[in-house]
Amino acid sequence: MSVVLRAPQVQIAGRIAAALLGGYAFTWGFIALGVAGLFATGMEFHDAEHLCNILGILAFLAVFLWAFAARSVKRVWLVLAGAGGLMAASASLIQHLLA
Amino acid sequence: MFQNFRLSMAWLHTWFGLVLGFVLMVVFFFGALSVFDREIDRWAIPASRFEAQPMPSFDTVLRPVFETMQPSADRIEQMRDKVNGPLPERFTVPTRWGAYTTHRDPVLGMFVGYEVPNAKEPETYIFASRTIDPRSGASLPDDHLKIGSGFFYPLHYSLTLYWKDLGYWIVGLAALIMLAALVSGVVMHRKLFRELFTFRPNKSRQRSLLDLHNLTGVVALPFHFFFAFTGLVIFAGIYFPITHTQLDPLHELHEQLEAQETGLPHERAGVPAPIASVDAMVAEAQRRWAAKDMAGEVGFLAVQHVGDANGYVSIYRAGTDRIALTGEGIHFKASTGEVLREDPPSTAVGSVNEFLTGLHLQHFRHWLLRWLYLMGGLVGCVCIATGFLFFVEKRKRQHARQNSQGARIVDALAVTTVTGMMLAALGILIANRLLPDSMPLGWPERGAMERYLFWGTWALAMLHAGWRSGPVAQERQNPAWREQCVAVAALAIAAVLLNWATTGDHLWRTLSLGYWPVAGVDLFMLAAAAIALGAARKLKQRGAAAPATRHEPPEPAHA
Repeated sequence: MSVVLRAPQVQIAGRIAAALLGGYAFTWGFIALGVAGLFATGMEFHDAEHLCNILGILAFLAVFLWAFAARSVKRVWLVLAGAGGLMAASASLIQHLLA
Repeated sequence: MFQNFRLSMAWLHTWFGLVLGFVLMVVFFFGALSVFDREIDRWAIPASRFEAQPMPSFDTVLRPVFETMQPSADRIEQMRDKVNGPLPERFTVPTRWGAYTTHRDPVLGMFVGYEVPNAKEPETYIFASRTIDPRSGASLPDDHLKIGSGFFYPLHYSLTLYWKDLGYWIVGLAALIMLAALVSGVVMHRKLFRELFTFRPNKSRQRSLLDLHNLTGVVALPFHFFFAFTGLVIFAGIYFPITHTQLDPLHELHEQLEAQETGLPHERAGVPAPIASVDAMVAEAQRRWAAKDMAGEVGFLAVQHVGDANGYVSIYRAGTDRIALTGEGIHFKASTGEVLREDPPSTAVGSVNEFLTGLHLQHFRHWLLRWLYLMGGLVGCVCIATGFLFFVEKRKRQHARQNSQGARIVDALAVTTVTGMMLAALGILIANRLLPDSMPLGWPERGAMERYLFWGTWALAMLHAGWRSGPVAQERQNPAWREQCVAVAALAIAAVLLNWATTGDHLWRTLSLGYWPVAGVDLFMLAAAAIALGAARKLKQRGAAAPATRHEPPEPAHA
């Protein structure tokens, strides 16, 4: 472990939380929006589900790694939770219009 | 937080790999054994030691069994807090009958799902299960654990921790970390091609461990990545239950559209109706498969809404000859035998998904690939275990100087998850051969006893590893490694001998009959014994050669 600014344990715990929880929120939004969006544009429901699960897991892996590589943990939270929330909200909106 | 990308990846690899590595060992080892789960079942249940059988006649064999099946006492117990008021003596409204077999199953697994009256949640079902000899329809005792498919396999994906699905989540996290460890490992080392040909067993122990770690990681890199990834895809519905929570209304919408399109009733009609000859439906399904140039056996057969006018029979083909897990399902009206629907060919996305999951779950017949899967899983174990050992070797001297117990604890946990896990697996097989056919009154049933002895053996191995770990804190070897290797060899040989003594199936007999399922399990254990003895000898030589004096100048290496 290299750079130690203040209370490294707190920093590490913050990173881990951002990577796991932020990454989970992001992936949730990604899959939700994907399923709703693809279903709305005519893809079979379970096809949309499978495709988004496959891509979603790869997306989780990517953002998980990025969360550790990124310089600022604040930005990680902002991007992951922000994008995850926005995508999930859009999914609900699409659902509201369809169902 | 980290100076550069490579350092962040190295940190991730070391610490996540260490913590989740212990889980990954379990997942890889029992996943590897699950490749031969049906064969281990036969070893553990001598009454099932005959050839694999096709799906028997529904009308004469299966139906009478289905009609007598009731949920077990512990299933009923688990259901108690999910209903308002008391549970009935007998469950009378079967919503689904099912029977499932593969090209490796001599015995047949059957289940019945019953509607639960007064359930708090809609669509609550209680299940009864039974295993029969399909040649006669005779039932096998319910308390005999199928150690391969009923214990090692669930350990692989759920650690058998079912409370709140906790085990699934831990395994899922471990799989994500496996993927992250593979990517970060590649980032750390760069010279991937060279790792393939680098193993220097005579260099310092730290160096040769790292070589072996890199070699086993790189040589099976696509295998490791594929299995961790597809494992997550298979259980994505548990990890991201989006279509059953946030998007449930959308899912409902789709279900209604689908029920209209397929013509398969979603609900009971409430009007009783008899069941026509299902054997005739099976013959028709097989005729239709043959007409598509896909002649085959039945793998899965189910009756939905049993005894109701809306009842239908679904017949799926066994996927013995293809990777993709497709069933080519054909659905019949239960009361008349009229064809309601033939499943359409898979869409592009469906095919990709079926291929990915099919290649992981491996229902097809390909014995060479099956062995390669086993080897791939064990290579993964070597990769993870050498990761632990490298972690210890790298820090041992420093920790000894600082009077820290870190290396000692990690080493003891490594003993527990390497040799200790093998002891536990052998322990359950030995318990299986030694326990009485049915346990005396007041004892847990036989299958439960086997599982307790598995965990008991493992706990003892852990205690032993911790108790003997003192020397690691002084930069020496933990004698538990060697002692447990000897114990692995002893238990493996004992299991083979007990199989002979209790069933008469010694290797000479099973080999000369060509009965590979049992012979293979015995031979595999003997091979494990030989390797364990070799390792014990090597460790003894090393111990005698006073390892603490072998200090070579440290080479730069990260992990």
